[in-house]
Amino acid sequence: MPLNEREPDDLMLVGGVAAGDEAAFRELFDRYASTVLGFLIQLLRDRAQAEEVLQETFLQVWEQADRYRPSGASPRGWLLMLARSRALDRVRSSRSRQGRENRVATEASGARVAQPEGPRRLEDDERRAVVSRALETLPDEQRHCIELAFFRGLTHREIAESLEQPLGTVKSRILLGMKKLRQSLAEPSRV
Amino acid sequence: MTMHRAQYLDLLPAYSIGALDGDELRQLEEHLAAGCEECERQLALWRRDVEALASSVPAVEPSDAVRRAVVGRVEGRATGADGAATFWRLAAVIAVGVLGALAWLHLDLRGRVESLAIERQVTVERLAALESDLGSARNELARLRRVSGIVASPGKRLVALASLEQPAGGAFGQALVDPVGRQAVFYAYGLRPTEQGKTYQLWYIAAGEPVSAGTFEVDSEGQAMIVVEEIVPPETIDAWAVTVEPQGGVPQPTGPMVLKS
Repeated sequence: MPLNEREPDDLMLVGGVAAGDEAAFRELFDRYASTVLGFLIQLLRDRAQAEEVLQETFLQVWEQADRYRPSGASPRGWLLMLARSRALDRVRSSRSRQGRENRVATEASGARVAQPEGPRRLEDDERRAVVSRALETLPDEQRHCIELAFFRGLTHREIAESLEQPLGTVKSRILLGMKKLRQSLAEPSRV
Repeated sequence: MTMHRAQYLDLLPAYSIGALDGDELRQLEEHLAAGCEECERQLALWRRDVEALASSVPAVEPSDAVRRAVVGRVEGRATGADGAATFWRLAAVIAVGVLGALAWLHLDLRGRVESLAIERQVTVERLAALESDLGSARNELARLRRVSGIVASPGKRLVALASLEQPAGGAFGQALVDPVGRQAVFYAYGLRPTEQGKTYQLWYIAAGEPVSAGTFEVDSEGQAMIVVEEIVPPETIDAWAVTVEPQGGVPQPTGPMVLKS
């Protein structure tokens, strides 16, 4: 997948936030809050909790933007991983309390799907379509294992127990699935 | 047990989506902490893919109340910044900007090179597949031309083969023989697929001796077609027959006969 074309601009925004520039922070929030919230709802299956984590995530960005290292991830990727980490902390604590699997998924109930305008909307839609098509090229069992790990925060062993499959099978499904995903994302004609 | 670099590289996809645990997680993190540049570079590329994975989810606009809460809290905190903090934050801007631009350029180029390598490999594989398809198409075209030549031959003869099954099955065969070109095309209809390890074998009997005319398998409708070349003069052929033989065919018939002229 090509890099985010807004990335150089994003880097300047993160730099601005690191310098305490409120306008840069507002711009970063307006640019990515909907992406992060959609992702958090997918992770938490609960809009109210997702909005709480969204706030925590952006406040963490405000306080720790100077810790951001561009060699590790793009600003967008950094934001998403910060949000994921916070969300999964909640999921794990919730899971230990009440068994999260029994929760009825609210699936973004009452959520307004973001409709950014103009080129940005086109770029986001295109990006989503490309990734969705790439995911569709994966065999179901590979995609399922990847989704359990990434969106549910399960480890190899937890997935193997959950699916009642050998640990080695789960590991190879994830490895092969990720490699195929990368190949599909790198191959514009097929996705 | 110490892992090799290739093993660490294979752990990176799972690590990037948080699936690693136990000893593998500990060993990989120790390896990364030791400063393996190749693994760091590959991890950054995997994180790009994971970012894409996160982008497969539809965006959802936060409510105005959430936006006001976040922005309001930041505005409240920003007023407390003193001069030294602002200086260091500005220094951070410059550092992040410069590092970011360099890293972005570096990763972008690296990523593009990797993408091109993958695309090249896929193209090579596709080309090989196309060449294989082209070879198959050429063979099929040559076969159809031979069939067409036999069908168009003015002196062609039709030989009918009937089923020997008891009770009589619906299978039958036809051999269209070109005496000038000394070739024939044989069609089979209604034959059952052979068992595992078996094949159908076509024979013609000339001067009392069976001569193999080739083996064949039937399609899902029980049909098959084969072209037989360099046959003996057709007037010396006494009969045509099909037997069931071991896979690959045999020099002399050994199995049950299913069709005979």
